[in-house]
Amino acid sequence: MDDLIYTLKQQIIEALNLEDMTPEDIDENASLFGEGLGLDSIDALELIVLMEKNYGIKLKDPSQGKEIFKSVAVMADFIQKNRTK
Amino acid sequence: MMRHEVYITTNEVKVDGKVLSHNENGSALLTELYRAHVGDYPKFFKMDTLSKLGFVASELLLQAEGAPRFEPREDRAVVFFNRSASLQADTAYQETIQDPNNFYPSPAAFVYTLPNIVTGEIAIRNKYFGETSFIVMEHCDESIMARELQNAFLDPMTQSILGGWLDCTDENHFEANLFLVEKSHVPCSEVSCQQLNESTNNN
Repeated sequence: MDDLIYTLKQQIIEALNLEDMTPEDIDENASLFGEGLGLDSIDALELIVLMEKNYGIKLKDPSQGKEIFKSVAVMADFIQKNRTK
Repeated sequence: MMRHEVYITTNEVKVDGKVLSHNENGSALLTELYRAHVGDYPKFFKMDTLSKLGFVASELLLQAEGAPRFEPREDRAVVFFNRSASLQADTAYQETIQDPNNFYPSPAAFVYTLPNIVTGEIAIRNKYFGETSFIVMEHCDESIMARELQNAFLDPMTQSILGGWLDCTDENHFEANLFLVEKSHVPCSEVSCQQLNESTNNN
């Protein structure tokens, strides 16, 4: 799980162009949106693409993202349980 | 208001005619300018190159102006011109949908596939509520630019324009010549296309 969390942090940094950040800067339990990483709605769409592209997970209902994208840890847990690649 | 002007190419930066020293070239130059002269707007890193160019050039221009910033105002318009529209962003987005076996359209790339996104970025950053427009031309044409600037001043709210030439074909070919002009000045000679066309031909 730790490896997945680290890889996921790297993928998020690359996909969202968080240029000044390293995986170590991201608290896996911190909120991704709002006061955490301060991501916006376009970033949320990019995270949906990231999950499909890298893990074969297609969200049937985009509103699921509200729960799944609570934090990197929550996202990694969801990926581990639902990944197809 | 003193006339202010910023000129940026892939390897040259001038503010009010004075050369600004730098180490990088191409898109890395824009990041260098952002870190050295702005630094408080992380959304910069998410922008396409055209928006990065316009954002950094407008920041240098407004710093040169020295007026209070970030106060809501309706009296300033943003009017840009170029010949390549949003070509670099269009290409970046196309790459995400080119391969049917790797078809993952990027929302972050898609949002920059219009040239006038950069006028919105600048208006949002500076709380400008005046007109914004982006005119695409076949080549730099001073008469069209002067006419459009004069047209922008027909709006009685508009007292000044942050405008000029802003063109980008890829991360290593771009050019900005931005200026501030007041309504009281006839904006017929704000941009010299000779310099821009010569530079374009050299690229």
